[in-house]
Amino acid sequence: MAREISHFIGGDVVAGHSGRSAPVYNPTTGEVAAQVALASSSEVRGAVQSAKAAAPRWAATTPLRRARILNQFLHILEQRLDTLAEVINAEHGKVISDAKGEIQRGMEVVEFATAAPQLLKGEVTENVGTRVDSHSLRQPLGVVAGITPFNFPVMVPMWMFPVALACGNCFILKPSGRDPSASLLLAEWLKEAGLPDGVFNVVQGDKEAVDAILTDPDITAVSFVGSTPIARYIYETATKHGKRCQALGGGEKPYDRHARR
Amino acid sequence: MIVMPDADLDQAVDALMGAAYGSAGERCMAISVAVPIGDKTADELIEKLEPKVRGLRIGPGTDPEAEMGPLVTKQHYDKVRGYIDSGEAEGAKLVVDGRGFKMQGYEGGYFIGGTLFDHVTPDMKIYKEEIFGPVLAIARAPDYGTAARMINEHEFGNGTAIFTRDGDAAREFAHQIQVGMVGINVPIPVPMAFHSFGGWKASLFGDHHMYGPEGVRFYTKLKTITTRWPTGIRSGADFVMPTMK
Repeated sequence: MAREISHFIGGDVVAGHSGRSAPVYNPTTGEVAAQVALASSSEVRGAVQSAKAAAPRWAATTPLRRARILNQFLHILEQRLDTLAEVINAEHGKVISDAKGEIQRGMEVVEFATAAPQLLKGEVTENVGTRVDSHSLRQPLGVVAGITPFNFPVMVPMWMFPVALACGNCFILKPSGRDPSASLLLAEWLKEAGLPDGVFNVVQGDKEAVDAILTDPDITAVSFVGSTPIARYIYETATKHGKRCQALGGGEKPYDRHARR
Repeated sequence: MIVMPDADLDQAVDALMGAAYGSAGERCMAISVAVPIGDKTADELIEKLEPKVRGLRIGPGTDPEAEMGPLVTKQHYDKVRGYIDSGEAEGAKLVVDGRGFKMQGYEGGYFIGGTLFDHVTPDMKIYKEEIFGPVLAIARAPDYGTAARMINEHEFGNGTAIFTRDGDAAREFAHQIQVGMVGINVPIPVPMAFHSFGGWKASLFGDHHMYGPEGVRFYTKLKTITTRWPTGIRSGADFVMPTMK
């Protein structure tokens, strides 16, 4: 039986139980390398509940402690760059040197996020009125989600979650079904770096999982990178359900609607 | 990417090779269209590009010599082939055709050769749509103004670049072009982690760019607290909209 690539929820790899899966190919040979589980909406809901339960403690963790965990994650990435590059190559097909470049650009966002205490400084005005002071601060949103494309299975998720985690949010990642394995390594290494269970979760899936994310009442923000028609759909659906959304497209046409998730 | 007549063409060609064919063109910031200014620039550019496109080292990504691997799936492979068919049918000149490429020993893999088109025009499908494959289109423009208008009239506005030695033209381009990420002699201007990534027009839906300072704003909500203590509180109720006293 083919290897199954499944979810990472509440600090552990969790087998899919929707009964649905899709083949993952090795593009160099054309052979089926594995089967990726496709989450049902109730499995997505389970991941959200796990994140929601972890959220208050993570938000109360000092920015400096959050930064130290991200710093430890950075050390792990440095040490295991080769392993991660091979995982990207096996499912995406890009050359190893290019895969390493992608990881490097992602690591730069982790480096940026390790400045959390500096990034989250607020603003103060003394005497907005006589003996009245005002200050502003930035607080986490709670549970946020990222939906990412096949072409950068490490870099694009790392454009999102390091900043989200540094800001004190819990994160649900829905990676592309074409090259899903890297997401699980990232989840395991974040845990190894000291990230509490439930703060970072991965759900594999297709449109059912995406729609569950876009309509979930406890997800407050959605980040997306992919093709323009889907970016428009993500933005319209997420904002209709009261979420913040940043949906980045490129330039593909509608007939490719579901291909790039 | 605009190539001005005064650009260092060898540098422009190296930039185009990496930006068009790196990662088999499967990048949202890949260069898919080059716009040389004037036929002389275009002819020279193609003369230098053609042998390099033919000489691309394609192979499994684990081969350290390989510059480009396969496409991601059979479905995507078929789609990229379809774009090359359509470019040919719409009358673009196919300078290098990657459709016949076969990777020995990996006949089941989704390999396609580097492809180069000349005389591509804005009404063609291969100009308007994102191919997401190793296909570079040359769309000739007679002057800078025409080239800038082509970019500004395009539906998408993710990334663009200009190759030139002319600081004045570069500044004009950087400040006036309707695109979110701009490179001056830099083919893929993906912003560093401490800036933020985001395109304009149909390339971004939302209010915030990604990562960097914009990422911090996106992932936090702003709270503003106004405070006074007993010595700052005057007696008596205020029935008017509070103003600064």
